[in-house]
Amino acid sequence: MADFFNNYDLGGFYDEMFSAPGVPRPHYAPLMKRYQAMTGIGEMFAKQKAADETFINRGVTFTVYSDQAGTEKIFPFDLIPRIIAAKEWAEMEKGLTQRMTALDHFLKDIYSDQRIIKEGIIPRELVESCSHFRPELVGVKLPRNRHVHINGTDLIRDADGSYKVLEDNLRTPSGVSYVLENRQIMKRVFPNLLRNYRVRPVAGYTSDLLDLLNWLAPEHVPDPTVVLLTPGVFNSAYYEHAFLARQMGIQIVEGSDLVIENDKVYMKRTGGLTPVHVIYRRIDDDFLDPTVFRKDSLLGVPGLFEAYRKGNVALTNPIGTGIADDKAVYYYVPQMIKFYLGEDALLPNVETYLTSDPKERNFILENLPKLVVKSVNEAGGYGMLIGPHSTAKEIGEFRDKIIANPRNFIAQPTLAFSRCPTICGDEMGGRHIDLRPYILNGESIKIIPGGLTRVALKKGSLVVNSSQGGGAKDTWVLADDREINDVQEVASGLRSIKPEKISV
Amino acid sequence: MLSRVANLIYWTARYLERCENTLRLIDVNAQLVLDLESHDDFHDPRIWEPLVYVTGEEKKFFKLHGKIATEEAVVQFLLFDRQNPSSLLSCVAGARENARCVRDQISSEMWEVLNTFYLKLKTQDYQTYVQTGSNEYIADLKLRTQQIYAVAESMLPRNEGWWFYLLGRYLERADNVSRILDIKYYMILPDRHHVGSALDVIQWGSVLRSCSAFEAFRRTQRGQLKLESVINYLIRDKEFPRSILASVAAAENCLHKICVEKAPAHTKVLLAEIGALREHLENSEVTAIIANGLHEYIDDIQSRVASVGAATVDCFVNYGPAKATLA
Repeated sequence: MADFFNNYDLGGFYDEMFSAPGVPRPHYAPLMKRYQAMTGIGEMFAKQKAADETFINRGVTFTVYSDQAGTEKIFPFDLIPRIIAAKEWAEMEKGLTQRMTALDHFLKDIYSDQRIIKEGIIPRELVESCSHFRPELVGVKLPRNRHVHINGTDLIRDADGSYKVLEDNLRTPSGVSYVLENRQIMKRVFPNLLRNYRVRPVAGYTSDLLDLLNWLAPEHVPDPTVVLLTPGVFNSAYYEHAFLARQMGIQIVEGSDLVIENDKVYMKRTGGLTPVHVIYRRIDDDFLDPTVFRKDSLLGVPGLFEAYRKGNVALTNPIGTGIADDKAVYYYVPQMIKFYLGEDALLPNVETYLTSDPKERNFILENLPKLVVKSVNEAGGYGMLIGPHSTAKEIGEFRDKIIANPRNFIAQPTLAFSRCPTICGDEMGGRHIDLRPYILNGESIKIIPGGLTRVALKKGSLVVNSSQGGGAKDTWVLADDREINDVQEVASGLRSIKPEKISV
Repeated sequence: MLSRVANLIYWTARYLERCENTLRLIDVNAQLVLDLESHDDFHDPRIWEPLVYVTGEEKKFFKLHGKIATEEAVVQFLLFDRQNPSSLLSCVAGARENARCVRDQISSEMWEVLNTFYLKLKTQDYQTYVQTGSNEYIADLKLRTQQIYAVAESMLPRNEGWWFYLLGRYLERADNVSRILDIKYYMILPDRHHVGSALDVIQWGSVLRSCSAFEAFRRTQRGQLKLESVINYLIRDKEFPRSILASVAAAENCLHKICVEKAPAHTKVLLAEIGALREHLENSEVTAIIANGLHEYIDDIQSRVASVGAATVDCFVNYGPAKATLA
């Protein structure tokens, strides 16, 4: 009997698996039993090693930017899943649906009547000073009247176990390919465990995404052509771009593959130009069209904006959505929900202070060593100060930055994110995790059951981003909360897993 | 198929074919040196100089290495110099970069074998060539390029990309063989009073070997190594796969495959151009070629091969909006 949970230390945080030392929460109990049935932690490591090899063989990798040789690394994957009970997920789904609906209303409003500004809910300066605000978009009618299609909302669990929204990612949220790949691995390593747990499948995501993209095509086109636009093979997320294109059976293109003729988009094929109706773009707004946005962009397609404005092509996400994931605008999402839907937010924000507000700024400056300060436009864990983990010098530098540019930051209390047991070297350690469900806003709102659970592998770290030493776990959303039978795993021993064609 | 993808596959193949020809050229030359009788000839800089002319990068070479084309300078330039766009390293690097961008289409395995080759080659230099022994070292490099072909052969999907891949190889081969023939002919020319001498036989043998044609020639031609028969063989033999005619005919076949299901209005000119080139080669008479000047003849062939290459890219990749059809 394996004893690797014996010395497991809860560390005073909310633990996903244990309610008290040695006492698992009910939906984790069968998992614990299954792990205890192993011959020892050695068996766990062997499985972990087999999983890692599978990722390398299948090329499930991201590229390290600075490396000339084009080194590809795997996104570390931890074999202990994060499990969400059915009832808990149902609540979260409601909250996410409500939030996505309000954000769509907000973007529609900002690019048309701007009621929310006129009625004094959100200050005009805040919206117009947002670097992702695109005045060119005001008044443009969008396909199906949808102003945002995909959101990756980051959630964390606070010390009391309640879920809170940390941020929205409304531009080009990445990571969903790992959700699908991680599940493939888990299915091989613990087939019976997954079945007995009645884990909801995630494989429908790419079909849902393709449905969404097809639905957005101009209405007169019976058999639309959808493409995925990538910045190219050197982009760190290229693997995901190629994966999603393959899964959906659509063409992956670069900017130079597309040409605009009479405000219509075509792709250049050996047999001539063929029309394109929907572009799932994985390029930021700035680089989309050098004639409108950044003039030096070589990634984009000159004239694309005009084709988009005329309704000849749909873009996912639409242009200008970044305004709603500006972290200072995030502050107002609960007010948006109230304003547009007349409801209270089901999923609260993390308590947030604005450096642009003089009163809150003073509070922030006085409490920097306790706070987390984030730059409003950065992603990937860059441009942030974690007060309790920083030196006096770093804090001083951030203080100067805040004073010089108060619009550019927000502050939040340093949160006690929940932790989940994670294989760390030769022991089981508690590591902080977050959750990014992917929300599709098509004919109806569809949310992938669970999403990407990211884990900060460094002891004590709160930064889960892959570029900063984060890893991932499979996220199991249970189909129902009936009692789970004990599991005897027979299928997989210590053998390593052969790479094979991905089928979802 | 996307134009960009077709173009990348086409150029990957051209780079790879160029690698192989460069290696053959060095290999044969290194062996030829050993066959030379007098010590003076052995050290004659003219022994290595022609290889520089084959690449067409002689200006760059002489700027970098001065007037004397030593073995070291030439081998370094042809194999390892990134400033020479036709060097082995440059070609392998180019093929690798292209292949990386179309990895999904050409199979990861093909990219991986190119990547491994590149990573090893970039750590090597003239010293490796000397220490391993030229013969063994070049043989190893040749084997590695052949390995890439083998992986391509077994992994590439037989779609349009396959025909672009073959087209690239055949056009590059036609070009390379014509260059080798041109330069070697020029080098041997001053010695024409030696016709029939031992050295003459060795020299023409080396021309054939540079194109891996020696044994095939012996088998099918049965005659002595004579100027006319060697030239005729390398330009016009229908069976030898590295002759200019065979390469052009194979390229023509690829183009016909590619043009299936394409609007004839846009491919007609291109197909006519390569067809005319093939017929021209078929109808040439070797005595007339030599009488009117082999160099002029080859020059014309080279520019026509280049023109087919450019027309191909224009037709399928860089076509302007006016030429575009909605397929």
